[in-house]
Amino acid sequence: MDVTERLIDDLRNLPAVVERADYRLQGYHLEVRLQSAQVRDFAKLLRERNFYLAFVSAVHVAAAIEILYQLACFTQPCRILAKAAVSDQGSVPSIADIFDGANWHERETHEMFGVVFSGHPYLEPLLLPEESADLRPLLKAEDAILPADRIRRQAAGQTEDSTLPAKSEGGTSGSDPEKIE
Amino acid sequence: MTTNNGNEKRQGFYLNMGPQHPSTHGVLRVLLEMDGEYVLEAEPVLGYGHRIQEKMGESRPWKGFMPNTSRLDYVGALICTHGYIGLIERMTGIEAPLRAEYIRVITSELNRISSHLLWLGAFLLDLGAFTPIMYTFDDREQILDILEDVTGSRLTYCYFRVGGVNRDIDATFIAKTRAFIERLRSRFRIYHDLVTTNIIFIKRVQDIVHLTPDMAMRYGITGPLLRSTGVGYDIRKSEPYSVYADFDFEVPVGTSGDCLEVYLVRLEEMEQSLRIIEQALDRLPDGPHLAKTPKKLPLPQGDASFSVEAARGEFTYYLVSDGSEVPYRLKIRSPCFSNLSILPELCRDMLLSDLVMVLGTLDLVIPEIDR
Repeated sequence: MDVTERLIDDLRNLPAVVERADYRLQGYHLEVRLQSAQVRDFAKLLRERNFYLAFVSAVHVAAAIEILYQLACFTQPCRILAKAAVSDQGSVPSIADIFDGANWHERETHEMFGVVFSGHPYLEPLLLPEESADLRPLLKAEDAILPADRIRRQAAGQTEDSTLPAKSEGGTSGSDPEKIE
Repeated sequence: MTTNNGNEKRQGFYLNMGPQHPSTHGVLRVLLEMDGEYVLEAEPVLGYGHRIQEKMGESRPWKGFMPNTSRLDYVGALICTHGYIGLIERMTGIEAPLRAEYIRVITSELNRISSHLLWLGAFLLDLGAFTPIMYTFDDREQILDILEDVTGSRLTYCYFRVGGVNRDIDATFIAKTRAFIERLRSRFRIYHDLVTTNIIFIKRVQDIVHLTPDMAMRYGITGPLLRSTGVGYDIRKSEPYSVYADFDFEVPVGTSGDCLEVYLVRLEEMEQSLRIIEQALDRLPDGPHLAKTPKKLPLPQGDASFSVEAARGEFTYYLVSDGSEVPYRLKIRSPCFSNLSILPELCRDMLLSDLVMVLGTLDLVIPEIDR
């Protein structure tokens, strides 16, 4: 796994925060946290390392919308999930010239969340009709927006509810054993 | 309309293909800038089938979204559902009994074959060959009958459950599936005689476009289109889910990435699916088909992703939970969305009739693009 090790080192040099994730529980191998200014360097690095872009999307949390990038690789099992908070100006640099596939994903994220991808060649609605181009349907209602730490995975044993004593597999199960049957 | 692109003066007219056009296989519109018979620019216009599925997924308990998952990729609905169920099981830590996992694989692979058969017939119909679709639909009908007996529906299956499958398979299902395997193997010869060696077909599809691994990386192309370029990437192998790691099967690849090779890859994939089904039937374990699960099942706080190899490529669900039963964010990544996005680059300066052929090769399912 020295390829992955090298990748982690290079990502940390961006500099980005990189953490190994438990694939069995989370479905991806690496979690990367970026500043919006690092997004393009991040994309360039992974383009060089022959990754492909699975999707770009966003999640509406307080204080700033988080942009999600998921990438994977054809030659080795390494799925990366990167998160970047949009800047104070509500924008994040476009990577459509690095990964051509990002063009549509960014257009979709723009119409659904209102995030501006600066440098995008054609930031027009993709799926929504012209008359509802300003709807931003995936933004949460004001009273439903959660702070970012309310959706973060909690380390094992840190969960509040009466969890199962760490099973051999998947110790983060939140189900109550009493309720079974 | 006159356009002036740099030093080359190109004079074109606009042609609207779709949204109601038989060869777009659904409500896809392609805005074409044409010069005579040649396509200067092809711009897909999406959204005619947009139902804001992701919002629906975020506004009800996760259970309520299960039927929706089979309405994204309705041609390969079981595989699509597999991803969602797999994601919920991953988050909650619930495991399906081994028998259920085998049943999931058997039915998913049957569904993959039916999807490829539909593609085969429709693709050749696009090329003007009317006969093959009669044969492929005859074969596909057998699968629909088999799956109808066990799932209760013919197309938009809602059969998988968290912790297993809705209904156990019986001896009749096994006998019918085995008979179908025999039958389809004998039909492959007919397809090869009728299509693969047909010189008109070969001239129509060979060497028109060449996909490359680099293009695939730039656009995020997955599935048979990617494998036709020689990259043996298959989520069932690279990130094995369910019990796929237990089976011996190959990932067919091409070399040059032209439409003929995409065709050959898809045909060979059907044979590989048959092999998986055979092995699964031979080794089908006894036991329950559904684990006992709590009635209320909140998703633990945090995020998780689950990818499956659908008939057209990587299908990924990404879910963010705030600890309740209602997902806070559900992102659906569908293969056709990325696979279609290459069309403008792929079809530049191409004959219109070839564009129809390339669109057919992409094997588009519009509801999973529009979502």
